[in-house]
Amino acid sequence: MFVSRSMTRKVITVNPETTIFEAQELMAANRIRHLPVVVADNTLVGIVTDRDLRSALPYRYFKEGISPAETESLKNLRVKDIMTQKVITIPPAYTIQDALMVIQNSRVGALPVVDDVGRLQGIISVRDLLRAFINVLGIGQPGTLLCILVEEKVGQLKRIVDAITEMGVSFGSVLVARYWDENKRAVFPYLLTQNVAQVKKKLQAMGYELLDPMQWYIDQLPEEERPPEKPKS
Amino acid sequence: MKRTGFLYDDRFLLHKTGPYHPEVPERLTAVFQGIEEGGLLDKLVRIAASPADMKWIHAVHAADYIKRFEATCRANKQMFESPDNQMCADTYEVALLAVGGILETARRVMAGELDNAFCAVRPPGHHAETNQAMGFCYFNNIAVAARYLQQEWGLHRVGIVDFDVHHGNGTQHIFEEDAGVYYYSIHQHPTFAYPGTGREFEYGRGAGYGFTKNSPVLPGQGDEDWKRLIERDLFPAFEGFKPEFILVSAGFDAHRDDDMSDIQLSTECYSWIMQQLVGMANTYTGGRIISVLEGGYSLRRLPELARNHVEILLNG
Repeated sequence: MFVSRSMTRKVITVNPETTIFEAQELMAANRIRHLPVVVADNTLVGIVTDRDLRSALPYRYFKEGISPAETESLKNLRVKDIMTQKVITIPPAYTIQDALMVIQNSRVGALPVVDDVGRLQGIISVRDLLRAFINVLGIGQPGTLLCILVEEKVGQLKRIVDAITEMGVSFGSVLVARYWDENKRAVFPYLLTQNVAQVKKKLQAMGYELLDPMQWYIDQLPEEERPPEKPKS
Repeated sequence: MKRTGFLYDDRFLLHKTGPYHPEVPERLTAVFQGIEEGGLLDKLVRIAASPADMKWIHAVHAADYIKRFEATCRANKQMFESPDNQMCADTYEVALLAVGGILETARRVMAGELDNAFCAVRPPGHHAETNQAMGFCYFNNIAVAARYLQQEWGLHRVGIVDFDVHHGNGTQHIFEEDAGVYYYSIHQHPTFAYPGTGREFEYGRGAGYGFTKNSPVLPGQGDEDWKRLIERDLFPAFEGFKPEFILVSAGFDAHRDDDMSDIQLSTECYSWIMQQLVGMANTYTGGRIISVLEGGYSLRRLPELARNHVEILLNG
């Protein structure tokens, strides 16, 4: 769950003297949107984004191209002239949850990862975080989602996990969500099996209420967005 | 009445899955019983199973995988690569018999000896990947049949309809780059159900892009939604593709009395589905359609579901 395991290590960087044309070409060629700006020793001094470049270059540059005169007037423009100098960075020891919160609060699309003396170690983007969370949820592997309604008291999750483990079923993930009733929680085990009917029966025999995950979802919706009730068999 | 083949062999019962497993021999007994008690046996052309020619297994599965499966079985292991895949000493042979029986059925339909057929086999196949057993499946029966139709009979357009409540990940992946096989599947939404694939935005890859179509159905939905999606997604797909042969992965586990899913289909809806498929076969393939059993775990409902299924094939 650490950033150092999910970040991109081979970072494409520029230096402050790189021209904005070169920076633009680097981004286009590598299909990236963020270029950390580094000096000797890989020390981070800024970041330039595709948005910075779009603001610096005429709109026509990205469409039909610009005239030689315009090119001439822009060719001395350097990365140092347009980069963001106060970069929001995180250390490699941050967890991906930390990174998620930082991205949420700062509204950036990627975070350079720097060590304690400011040297660039990697970069983590929203894309990297999504991949990490797909991994955490286990949804890249075949499995089945259950939804169990439990009283909020100590030891419930242990009972559930033990019962499922005894049946030799592996977990892809377990999520716990608040239920509408404040004394209850909805537990969502993602089980790496097709054979869930037995698991369901066992949990019901233990006194747990199993919810249709869809019903849980619908009950979270505001009244006016809920689909009409359907007769259940 | 159509000349309808019926593949069933007592040896399919030899594949045992141990306690706490829903994919049991009794499923097949229930299917057979429903057809027998419906008085349909005399009207059907019975087909017995014979082991598949290995070259057709190799047309779908990796050589290393086939070896692993055989070795695990011969070593009398009770599980193959995942606890879902419980097995016994006979499993490998039974899996070969199932494929062999289906290929013989396909041969007879292509040779004009039969119009259509239902293959009541175990183990099921649609989760089996080229190189991995998954979800009770070892050899991908329907995929081997499609490859056989392509390579032995030179068919250019094989349509596969998979109405098992679980997505046929194996079948989709095997043909995802093949524009000669259209894979359509309707199943419980992959966020809630095994195996977690078959999302609406999976359309195939490369040359096969546009020849895969998935209709995910949310938990709790029933006949109305299921029919609507088949009309919306499958009908136009096959109208465009114009299959020369239809293969059906027939799973009965979306029935409301089947505890493997949260979909609420009625017995009548299953008849409706099969009528549509036979109708499509009459329109596009000269009636050539073979249905192969996948899932379906309600021992109480399987007899009536199998009986209706076969009756619709007979009435063509």
